[in-house]
Amino acid sequence: MAGSNVRRDRPATSNRISAYLLHHLKSLLFSLDKIYQAPTTTIMTVAVIGITLSLPGGFYLFLKNIDAISGDFRSSSQISLYLDLNISEKQARTLEKQIATTANVASTRFISREASLEEFRQNSGFGKSIDTLSSNPLPHTIIVEPVEADTFTVRNLLNSLQAMPEVEIAKLDTEWLERLYTIIEIAKRSVIIITILFAFAVLLIIGNTIRLDIQNRYQEIIVTKLIGATDAFIRRPFLYGGVWYGLLGGIISWLIVEIGYLAISGPLERLNLLYQSDMNLITFSFHDFIILITSSTLLGLAGSWIAVARHLNQIEPT
Amino acid sequence: MIEFHNVTKRYESGYQALSNVSLKLGDGQMAFLTGHSGAGKSTLLKIIALIEKPTRGQALLNRINLNNLARHRIPYIRRNIGIIFQDHQLLFDRPVFDNVALPLQIQGYRPQEIAKRTRAALDKVGLLGKEKSLPITLSGGEQQRVGIARAVVHKPMLLLADEPTGNLDPVLSREIMEIFVDFNQVGVTVLVASHDLGLIEELDKPRITLNNGQLILNDLADTDQEATSGWK
Repeated sequence: MAGSNVRRDRPATSNRISAYLLHHLKSLLFSLDKIYQAPTTTIMTVAVIGITLSLPGGFYLFLKNIDAISGDFRSSSQISLYLDLNISEKQARTLEKQIATTANVASTRFISREASLEEFRQNSGFGKSIDTLSSNPLPHTIIVEPVEADTFTVRNLLNSLQAMPEVEIAKLDTEWLERLYTIIEIAKRSVIIITILFAFAVLLIIGNTIRLDIQNRYQEIIVTKLIGATDAFIRRPFLYGGVWYGLLGGIISWLIVEIGYLAISGPLERLNLLYQSDMNLITFSFHDFIILITSSTLLGLAGSWIAVARHLNQIEPT
Repeated sequence: MIEFHNVTKRYESGYQALSNVSLKLGDGQMAFLTGHSGAGKSTLLKIIALIEKPTRGQALLNRINLNNLARHRIPYIRRNIGIIFQDHQLLFDRPVFDNVALPLQIQGYRPQEIAKRTRAALDKVGLLGKEKSLPITLSGGEQQRVGIARAVVHKPMLLLADEPTGNLDPVLSREIMEIFVDFNQVGVTVLVASHDLGLIEELDKPRITLNNGQLILNDLADTDQEATSGWK
């Protein structure tokens, strides 16, 4: 009964380490088995987590799409030059060639008064009323595509073009773009707030589920404590339970968002056709998927950690 | 193994369960703890099992002071004790084997070692054929024997039993007590709380008797014993 006797009976350190890892694996599988044993509770918890996370997930994708579209706009900022009505077509074409060779100009395109009128007649729906006009009110137009440059360079180009005597109006349509970007920025921040709130909700959901789980296994906790289980040993299956809830909830939320986007992709394609745009719907990339799953899993771990820290230590044998 | 020096336990309710109890149970000894219900038997066992702390006095387990043990050390001390409860305290959601293997899993034994030792413990209590059964399908006596197997599977130095035969008929009770005597013969220190006086008489082991929290009989008092070096 001497102390040395006890030590001899204990497993060697290397065995204890592999047994430690084995216990981690066992806890992982044990908690999975618990989940499997109580499918209704699990499905409900996981569904709530999935739905909760799908909202920020969906918003995120929406913004990602908007970003992609507005990115297209950003790269295609053009300057429209409306020429003086007295300028002839020949003069206008000469001017176009001259501008095309100017610094910071990528390309130019000439639209004659007649072509403008024709386009307007076809697309505006005012065809009939235009026919009643005695003269063509539209000027020759030169579309100037600046090279990709910062706003300052483009503004300078705009000013120099405006200064040309033949140019009546030079217009760089950036104001509405700036407004759009501001709106997008507001939306982005809202998504961040929503994400934080919903992450907190997931934390509470998982924490509460684990708390109930701890209560249900009160007896087991008492018994294992009495036969010498450390707090870490008792904690482990619950923590893994939270991890499973988070992981499965994350997958569900991913599915919800994907299905949702599949559902709106039909009408969106029709919209694409109507606007003759080649906009493609962006869904979760692999990278996004990994981030979503990882963060929901970490939320699960955090939620169960809170529940375990709050409730497990209060359970002591009496 | 166990030393109590003037141990008093007063619960928060004001109830005094133990008053100035001093005793010594040497390594490898076996004793019965008797007394009427409410005499303080369970409290005494709970102090040894680190479930309760003495209000006054000192309780030592293998020279380790149990009064002010850090929380994180408690599990490791408990691993040297096998506890048997009157109500078995088995886990009903898993088979007999898993119940008995639990202490070994907690202590980080390898699976092969766990299987070997668990079967040996089940064999010892005569339940080797029942390892796959769920505890609920076993009789009261069998459940108690599963509890004993779980308490001894990790070869503890000390075995504590709180009314282990409380719910059993005389034949089963005798069987259970004889298992304890067997363990004591291979060197395990055993302390059994029981009020089954007839059975205790037959077994001829030292008795410690409590009455209203006070020690009124101690057969161990004159035996000289020397505690060996402590654990850890």
